[in-house]
Amino acid sequence: MGSWNARRIGYALALLLTLALPLGLIGYKLFVLDYPLDALIPAVSYQVEINMEVAGHGDDITVSTYLPKSDSRQTVSKEANFADTFALSLETVGENRLATWSGENITGRRQIRYTLSAQPHNIRYEISPELRLPGPEDLPPDFEAYLRPEPGIQVRDPSIQEALQRILPQGRLTMLDVLQRIHRHLQDNLKNKDFSGFTDALTALKLGEGSCNGKGRLFVAMARSLNIPARLVGGLILEQGSKRVSHQWVEIHVNGHWVPFDTINDHFAEVPANFLTLYYGDLGLFRHTSNVNFQYFFKMSRRLVPKPEAEQSANTSFLNLFHIFAVFERIGISQNLLKIILMIPIGALVTIIFRNVIGLETFGTFLPALIAAAARETGLLWGLVGFVLIIILVSLVRMVLDWLQLLHSPKMGIILTTVVILMLTLTILGVRFNLFEFAHVTLFPIAVLAITAERFALVQTEQGLAKALRIMAATLVVIAACYVVMDSLFLQSLVLAFQEVLLVVIALNLWLGKWIGMRVTEFYRFRRLIFTARSA
Amino acid sequence: MFPSSLPSLRTMARRTGHVLGINWRNLNYIYPFNHRKNFPLADDKLRTKTELAAWGIPMADTLGVYDSFFELRNLGEDLAAHDSFVIKPAHGRAGGGVLVVTGRSGESWLGADGRVRTLAEMKKHISDIIFGIHSFDMEDQAIVEERLTLHPEVEAISPFGLADLRVIVFRGRPVQAMLRLPTRNSGGRANLHQGAVGVGVDLAREETVHAVHLGVSVTEHPDTGAPLLGRTLPGMEVVLGLCRTLGAAVPLKYLGADIALTPRGPVLLEINARPGLEIQNANHAGLRGLLESGS
Repeated sequence: MGSWNARRIGYALALLLTLALPLGLIGYKLFVLDYPLDALIPAVSYQVEINMEVAGHGDDITVSTYLPKSDSRQTVSKEANFADTFALSLETVGENRLATWSGENITGRRQIRYTLSAQPHNIRYEISPELRLPGPEDLPPDFEAYLRPEPGIQVRDPSIQEALQRILPQGRLTMLDVLQRIHRHLQDNLKNKDFSGFTDALTALKLGEGSCNGKGRLFVAMARSLNIPARLVGGLILEQGSKRVSHQWVEIHVNGHWVPFDTINDHFAEVPANFLTLYYGDLGLFRHTSNVNFQYFFKMSRRLVPKPEAEQSANTSFLNLFHIFAVFERIGISQNLLKIILMIPIGALVTIIFRNVIGLETFGTFLPALIAAAARETGLLWGLVGFVLIIILVSLVRMVLDWLQLLHSPKMGIILTTVVILMLTLTILGVRFNLFEFAHVTLFPIAVLAITAERFALVQTEQGLAKALRIMAATLVVIAACYVVMDSLFLQSLVLAFQEVLLVVIALNLWLGKWIGMRVTEFYRFRRLIFTARSA
Repeated sequence: MFPSSLPSLRTMARRTGHVLGINWRNLNYIYPFNHRKNFPLADDKLRTKTELAAWGIPMADTLGVYDSFFELRNLGEDLAAHDSFVIKPAHGRAGGGVLVVTGRSGESWLGADGRVRTLAEMKKHISDIIFGIHSFDMEDQAIVEERLTLHPEVEAISPFGLADLRVIVFRGRPVQAMLRLPTRNSGGRANLHQGAVGVGVDLAREETVHAVHLGVSVTEHPDTGAPLLGRTLPGMEVVLGLCRTLGAAVPLKYLGADIALTPRGPVLLEINARPGLEIQNANHAGLRGLLESGS
């Protein structure tokens, strides 16, 4: 048949085009235009939210905390304050940035929210093995503060000296020796403990265990007793999600540099890229008026942002047509939204593989990818909970409508409205109960949810509840798979830097579109035909 | 669920090659042989009827068609002559909107579901169909047609509703067939996933060879205990002829024909442009092997 051959040629051409074009473009960018690969791959940035809550009884309230500042290791930007009844003042205290919120005649529960974007980098020092311990004459005159004892850092206590004598070998010691011995001793011989309040250096030493602040104080006390300047660092380990725990590590002054050490997570002379420094010194992170039932948590979400170098090269390159960041930024579409848009076809590809190759029946081809995209703001777990809640409740409403025997379109109109009302309700409830991630269900695709609820109810009536729940369970599995794939930093960076990858997605779909193999679930469905002989 | 001793990999691979999967069915049978533009012929039961009647294919007699409300004014007179009939939407799905009337009770009608319906209730049912309650289209037509009964030989194994014979017809050749028997639990419906029994029919030997109920092989009817295997079915030559006629009459070349075996011979109920794959389990035989061996 002629048309058969024409179709084959057309298919081959489409496949060739969607593979050759993107590969060519990527090659051209890399080898001819000399795009610097690591400038193209966007950098990780964290949106950090500091949430504080106080309850007032008509008195004045002040709350203060240390805010991070930009330095050679971390960039802090896009700071915003959300605290209508409190006045914010910022001051520099020593090396720290102290933020104080004060409010007058405060009654009831009040929230203070401060958001910022942070981009720390990994840093790692090599300490020369020849470096000697510093004598008093080697230190700057104003370093007294980094050598003296403090209430929790008992530098001159004999048991600190005894411990050092045990840990350190006899003879002349180099800086590297000393730091390695102390670090290894604290990391390996002192048990890690979860945070349980203030632990001073001596207590950590006596108990042979410590949380970050106990081990940190002991490290500082040991270093200072050897005349090595040392300080505590308070900060946050940035990771997707919400938490209350902050972290402490130490910095030792080595040959003119403050070199970081963490004996909880075994970082020797380095800190990873997700450690955000908040303040220096043995200080409490929060201070507040007493009896205000102070509560706080940190919320962090990971974002990708273009590296400054990339933005520069995009603006100077004649090919900045390819460079989509700047174009979108100009019309106010954030990079984050752009990334979600670019990841949706990849999420859809995941769903298609689940449907056509594995053989799981899901509600809708694109629904899992869209829900997974929306679940970025709620987190996977809350996203799934919100999705199930909305679908189940709306399909109950649909059953009532079915009983009323309404025409299809007005019925869908009511279902859509119900979805909107439910989302608003869930958001209000989420905020009310401090489930801020859950409150983001409002971002879910409304029309898709309405159609899915309708399909769920239809399957339930025509094929039974068991079948409807089975498809629902499969849909949840596929949403989770989409979420994991779409959340992959590697893939996100790849599509952001090389949008032509989307053509490869088309190529993969072309290939899957001609895939005639048995679906995995069909091996189960027809297991008797395959595994057992016919008895007759 | 899997058997404890597995056959050799080669045997399993050979058997797998005989099974028709959805991807293979769509790409190699439905897309090339069933053009999308011909789907309405199968989806619109009224069109199926009018077009296939011209080819002499036996179908249920149409007693009336209603596509607007004013036609319902005379419903009482229209139905006066008939004691039993079926009302169904032309574009129904999965048996939705089908009303089987088995007799009269004074001025009212007696449904197969045991309910008595007045003339006003009959009018309401039909206007719901016309309104499109049972179909996604905004408007639909209601068909009133003869109520078919089963041939005594089939009724003996199917006392709970109208059994039908599903035949996969590929370019006029009947490839695989199964008898679908409603059960007490399937609510009179002949859908396997709703609990009907699927009985595989060997088309060469013209007898039943295997049966499944809710995914499990059975040899007897789960409700009555009647033996299901080794039975011959009445009028199979007519069925085979009917399939050949379908091959010529219908532009859909890969279809599922649903046939009722009645005392007056086989009657075509409807045709399906995307017939399902469960027929393979009912027959304990792969469809792909059968499709490829004959063409």
